Amino acid sequence: MLLIDCPFCGPRNETEFTYGGPALAPRPADPGAVSDADWVDWVTVPPNPMGPVEERWWHSRGCGAWLTIRRHTVTHEITEVRLGR
Amino acid sequence: MPYDVTITRLPLRALFDLKGRAAALEKWCGTALPPFPGRPNSRTEAADRGLHWTGPDRWLLMAPLAEEAALATALRADKVPVDLSITPVSDTLTFFAVTGPDVAEVMAVATPLDLHPDSFPPDGASWTEAFGIRSAIRTIAAGYEIAVDRSYADWFEESLRLACT
Repeated sequence: MLLIDCPFCGPRNETEFTYGGPALAPRPADPGAVSDADWVDWVTVPPNPMGPVEERWWHSRGCGAWLTIRRHTVTHEITEVRLGR
Repeated sequence: MPYDVTITRLPLRALFDLKGRAAALEKWCGTALPPFPGRPNSRTEAADRGLHWTGPDRWLLMAPLAEEAALATALRADKVPVDLSITPVSDTLTFFAVTGPDVAEVMAVATPLDLHPDSFPPDGASWTEAFGIRSAIRTIAAGYEIAVDRSYADWFEESLRLACT
């Protein structure tokens, strides 16, 4: 069970949140200028390292805010939580 | 041995969901609102109206049901500017009062929220979960009030009573 320190509500159980997917790199400004392989990578391949990742979580049963958290995929340690992106 | 707790289903209340910047809402609503709470997940009260700060740029206004029409007129919900939202939601929530000497035991079964007074003071009010569904909890004398979506009310009351046994 994760304990997510919501910037508005304070520490809350993971069960109050809904996972919102990985926090992707910014969308390429001109998709036409990137290669097909890079575009497919950006659209469909989520980062999945054994290490820190950034993820979006929605505090759906709490304050309703969207958060971005930095979580270690092996230890589940959360080192950063911020409102929005 | 059953816990010494009383569960009371409370009558409907006037509820308004307010969204927008506090300064803009204060300007629009004028004296219809109690002062804005100074701390997240807390509430202020004036006369019989309560204002709960439940999320970023989000508040829940609560009053007796008899005041609903007067509040709707005062808040001009149908004329709000585009940066605000005022929505009547009186019929969406059912409130339960959970009180008694063993209230902490029952609340510990119902919700994972930390209700120690250091974390959830007497003016506390927050959305959280109870028995796995979204619910609003606030402190009252000798216990707590829990509000859940009205369609869950019968099942939720049964769950509370089971937790007391």
